[in-house]
Amino acid sequence: MKAPSRLRQSNPHLGAYYGITTSAVVSLVVCLAMFEQLGWTQLWLAEALILVPLLLYLVIATGARTLDVRDFFASGRRVPPVYNGAVLAAILIGGAGFFGYTGTLFFLGFDGLAIGLAWTTGLLVAGLLFVPYLRKAGAYTLPAFLGQRFRSRSIRVCASLLQLPPTALLLAAEIKVAALMAVIFLPISYQLAVAAIALIITFIALIGGMRSLTWSATAQFIVGAIGLAVPLIIVSVLLTNLPAPQLTYGEMFAPLARSETIAGVAPSVPQQLATALPSEQLKPSTKPFLQPFGAVSQIDFLTLFLCLTLGTAALPSLLVRSGVTSSIADQRRSVAWAALFVALFAASAPALATFVRLLMFQDIAQAPANALPAWLNDLNLHRLLLAKDANGDGTIEASELFIARDGIALALPMAAKLPFVCTVLVAAGGIAVALAAAASHLFTLAGSLADDVVLRLIGPRSEMLPRLMAAWVAIAATALSAAVFLALANIDLMQAGLTAFALAGATFFPVLLLAIWWRRCTSLGAMLALGLGFGAMALEIGFGGSFGSGMVHLTTVVAALIGATLGLIGGIVGSLIGPPSSAAEEVYFEELRDPGGEALYDRAQRRSTGPG
Amino acid sequence: MSEHSGRDRHRWKTALLAAAAIVIVLGSVTAVVAATGRLEAISFLRFPLGFYLLAQGLLIGIVAVCFWSVAAQERIDRSLSESEEF
Repeated sequence: MKAPSRLRQSNPHLGAYYGITTSAVVSLVVCLAMFEQLGWTQLWLAEALILVPLLLYLVIATGARTLDVRDFFASGRRVPPVYNGAVLAAILIGGAGFFGYTGTLFFLGFDGLAIGLAWTTGLLVAGLLFVPYLRKAGAYTLPAFLGQRFRSRSIRVCASLLQLPPTALLLAAEIKVAALMAVIFLPISYQLAVAAIALIITFIALIGGMRSLTWSATAQFIVGAIGLAVPLIIVSVLLTNLPAPQLTYGEMFAPLARSETIAGVAPSVPQQLATALPSEQLKPSTKPFLQPFGAVSQIDFLTLFLCLTLGTAALPSLLVRSGVTSSIADQRRSVAWAALFVALFAASAPALATFVRLLMFQDIAQAPANALPAWLNDLNLHRLLLAKDANGDGTIEASELFIARDGIALALPMAAKLPFVCTVLVAAGGIAVALAAAASHLFTLAGSLADDVVLRLIGPRSEMLPRLMAAWVAIAATALSAAVFLALANIDLMQAGLTAFALAGATFFPVLLLAIWWRRCTSLGAMLALGLGFGAMALEIGFGGSFGSGMVHLTTVVAALIGATLGLIGGIVGSLIGPPSSAAEEVYFEELRDPGGEALYDRAQRRSTGPG
Repeated sequence: MSEHSGRDRHRWKTALLAAAAIVIVLGSVTAVVAATGRLEAISFLRFPLGFYLLAQGLLIGIVAVCFWSVAAQERIDRSLSESEEF
């Protein structure tokens, strides 16, 4: 007999639990700020502010442990929309966005705004085109949905393998950023930090799957929000007298432009997108913050925006959460909440970049080369900044100040001379969202490999434990592979993220669009859409951006747009010239588009297990 | 016939809503990017208007469209269930 569900309603005490969590984190920060004044060392402060929240995430994950398949793969389908929105935002931004986007804005200024806009637009597109229908389908993974839609095991296996490259890239990027931050503040090596991060996300994903991931990621979102908001608001009060940085940083533009001119920053001309985006290497910032299209052209701005919009809308790690709320309407609302949270971050990041830039260039413009401010030396110690008077004129110009893109968020509290606790708070916030994103990418990847590939190839297993055991083994193996990869290879956070979004957009956007919105789409069309989209990106990556012709140098984002277009055309042509879709596919499509009723997967499961 | 016409009307309205929301947002972003040169000369809340729109204004608009489309889609879904009950 099927055991009755413990709870199909969301926990009414969730607000209280996370209110307590928020209070605990704020109290910890306040206590450590007092202990700093009482003489605690920087190491003790860093250990307390990074390790105590880590312990909290593990406790929450343990509390949310489960052996129930629906809890493990869909968080019991009872996550309230606001919480799912918070988790979606944490996954989308991640540590790579937290540190990489703020750093990119520091270097590109105006031209970097395309990224935040694309994230928010991508969520809107996903919420309108895909998410409600994936909720109705109720499949636990994106490949499982495609397999059910087209009644095809080969499409399911193929989609699972094709979602591996983008998800693995994002997983590696998030583990790396969390490890890099840990290495800066804790006395551990990079390899050990990577292993520790991999172990933590494995534990979270393994002990309760989507359920433990959801509730630990909610706490991680809260820590991330506090880590970003508190230092930013304090600096805003110091500089503008108002605690609303998003509204007030405009008045900093005039002094910023003056400081940039004194530091030798002159208007620049746009370059190709691939070279304009800052890498993780230390480099000088030579483009005026406010200059529109001084680093990338208007066309490149729009192509980057479109590519990231498609990538966000079709990102498997986001879409896999389409079945966790209690209804289709709740799922739509959760995407709207996610868009709100991401927009808040995207609106705050330029304020952070403006403040850091102003403080940095003001201090440089006023200081001689042999008496630089102490905070510059602190950043230098962490290898986040290097200032050298190359021309020997006794001053440091913008071209002589080499800055690490991923250290800009950390530089804000340092440049504003805030207590050390604020600097560690930014790092703890970034690590928190990196962990949330990494655990989600790990679960998406491993859950799909286990459920869509291994179990499909060795035959269906309806028993609960073998299904979970396959997922556990896949989670552990994937985390181990990611850790080994990071120990041996180096990746750039933003480049990896951009490539992953481009791959996801080119591969999955066309097939999802056709599968959900076109009744006539067949398995042949779906396979062509998947193959052509991914193929275009594979060619671009494999042949270094030139498709082998050497004439037209295409960047990743252009290749993604070409791939998505080819995928769409291929999907339509394949569906029209191939055999028509079966009656079962037509029935599934009709039911998928009906907004009422039970999730199709749940109904099929209920029927297969009988009324008991 | 009435069952299918209700369902078809629901699908058309759903598709129209999705297309309208996406076209409004993509069109707005493209228009602002294209008109940046002129917008930068205008000051709004001490921001150059072009910068403000890309950094905040459009984000506020996209989030508003998100919540509006959710409410509109719920109305469309409710009208379908009412017509089916009828």
